[in-house]
Amino acid sequence: MTTAERGVRRQQRQRHDRYRYRDTKLALLMLAPVLILLGIFVIWPAFYAGFLSFQDWSFYKEPVFVGFKNFTDVLSDPLFIATIGRGFVFVLMTVPPMLVLAYLFSSLVVAVSRRFASILKVSIYVPTIISGVITSIIFVLIYDYSGGLLNAFLGAFGIDPIAWIGDPAWALLAIAIPAVWLGMGLTSLIMVAAMVDIPTEYYEAAAMEGAGWWQKTFYITIPQMKNVFLYLLVTGFVAAIQQFELPLVMTGGGPLDSTTLPNLFIFNHFRNDINVGYSIAAALLLFVVLGSVSALVFKFVNSERLVD
Amino acid sequence: MAVMQGETTRIVLAGKEPSGRSKLPRTSGGWLALAGKVVVGLIFLVAALFPLAWMVIAGFKSKTEVVSTPFQFFPEVWRWQNYAQILADPTFTRTMLWTFLGAVLFTVLSLTVNSLAAYAFARLNFRFQRTLWVAVITTMFIPGMTILLTSFIVVTRLSMLDTLAVLVIPGAASAGAVFFIRQFYLNIPASLEEAAMLDGCGRFQIFWRIFLPLSKPPFVVMGITAFLAYWNSYVWPIMTITTPERFVVQQYLATFRSERSTELGLLMAGSVLAAAPVVILFLIFQRQIIGNIKMAGLK
Repeated sequence: MTTAERGVRRQQRQRHDRYRYRDTKLALLMLAPVLILLGIFVIWPAFYAGFLSFQDWSFYKEPVFVGFKNFTDVLSDPLFIATIGRGFVFVLMTVPPMLVLAYLFSSLVVAVSRRFASILKVSIYVPTIISGVITSIIFVLIYDYSGGLLNAFLGAFGIDPIAWIGDPAWALLAIAIPAVWLGMGLTSLIMVAAMVDIPTEYYEAAAMEGAGWWQKTFYITIPQMKNVFLYLLVTGFVAAIQQFELPLVMTGGGPLDSTTLPNLFIFNHFRNDINVGYSIAAALLLFVVLGSVSALVFKFVNSERLVD
Repeated sequence: MAVMQGETTRIVLAGKEPSGRSKLPRTSGGWLALAGKVVVGLIFLVAALFPLAWMVIAGFKSKTEVVSTPFQFFPEVWRWQNYAQILADPTFTRTMLWTFLGAVLFTVLSLTVNSLAAYAFARLNFRFQRTLWVAVITTMFIPGMTILLTSFIVVTRLSMLDTLAVLVIPGAASAGAVFFIRQFYLNIPASLEEAAMLDGCGRFQIFWRIFLPLSKPPFVVMGITAFLAYWNSYVWPIMTITTPERFVVQQYLATFRSERSTELGLLMAGSVLAAAPVVILFLIFQRQIIGNIKMAGLK
């Protein structure tokens, strides 16, 4: 290739690039606010957290590099491991009941008149917009041992009062109930949307073949919705294992740590422990697991697979 | 798009089961099924709304009636003065106004910055487009807890602690909102802009004159999301706001609960008033919010 040819090539490419990237200046201007804000308040803190997790550091002294010590400390801390186990128990208490109830709800919504369906959809969504603090206040008072509504109601059936949030055996369940109450709205409505999308022809064809309700459910509805179940299962898992506002306000993690979920454990360490590296390492470990799980789900949802 | 989705929903719903009024069941089995549906539906309604109804009723009770032995569901006397009393508390009203102002600022700022970025990603051709897009989307997967402490260090260094700015600015840019608004912009037909370009409109003018006026649906959904996020936020405020005069409303309620723990009727009245703005906002826009859940969750 001669020099002249190469020059022509380069010119062509430059012209091509100039056309291809014709809006660069305006684009960077329009992107600047978001990039700057995300850069300062999300991306930089994330890298900074990565850096600090390898340091022995507190607010009062210079950071010292300690390698993976913080991570090994976290992973060998029985208290942290216990919170992870508790997180899984909490997930089991919230996610499966929520999915079953949401399925029941959406089967109901598609089978009733339009007006009743929209009343149901609006009502189920109302709790979603109530704050964690207000929810905590309401439920703590309902759970009150001697004068609360729940024990009074159970008392009417001759059941002895239960210290819902004072007894380690019940406290986690007592927090799972408001968590389900808050999360039901979105789960149910996503499920309703998926169920409404199943083509009616399938049911008509099945009905013509003489299929009953159970057969329609097991051979049409559930197979058609399995992607939505999977999506809700994973997002529900990620949300539930990160829950910490409810235990923070309702119990503060007690009694006897029975409601200290992983994020509450980390949050309490932030506030009380001067060894910051430890808490950050714990938070990063959660990030690696949960971040990759949600990234996978996002990729999955945005591929076309959910549609077919 | 949205209209069409609404139509199919209606057709499918109407097609699956004739509505109760137009065709009443003819067999006793049909009546039984209808009764079953109504009962299950009512159970869902009660489960969803009962805790809120209980909060409203408790807001009318005296301080000893909210939790009492023997338990009484309704108050002896309906005490409207609870509401008068909490509204007469200057700290409460100031907190409500302060939070409302912050929420409005936050909503406006978030819609502004995120829609600008959404337009750039949807329509402009520029260098590093893919890299920047990946960088922005990646921030969606960073859990709040991971960066809670380090962003606290950042705002401390920027001397933002204890100001309105620390509540409004750090969370304003949101990858989720950029993504959501961009999806909407991608569906706006290119022929609209081509006509404007022939008339000599620049790219920014197209955004300003064509895209913004069409943006109501995503703006309603993302605007309410932002308003709710600000109004309901608790953890970030308790870390960054320490002067009681500058508390946000959730902080006020949590503090009230621990410091004036005997005045339960008043606490419940305050909770009702603190929940009211977002409930009203939701009821006004419920059609758009519920209609968009499909779009938000699964495209």
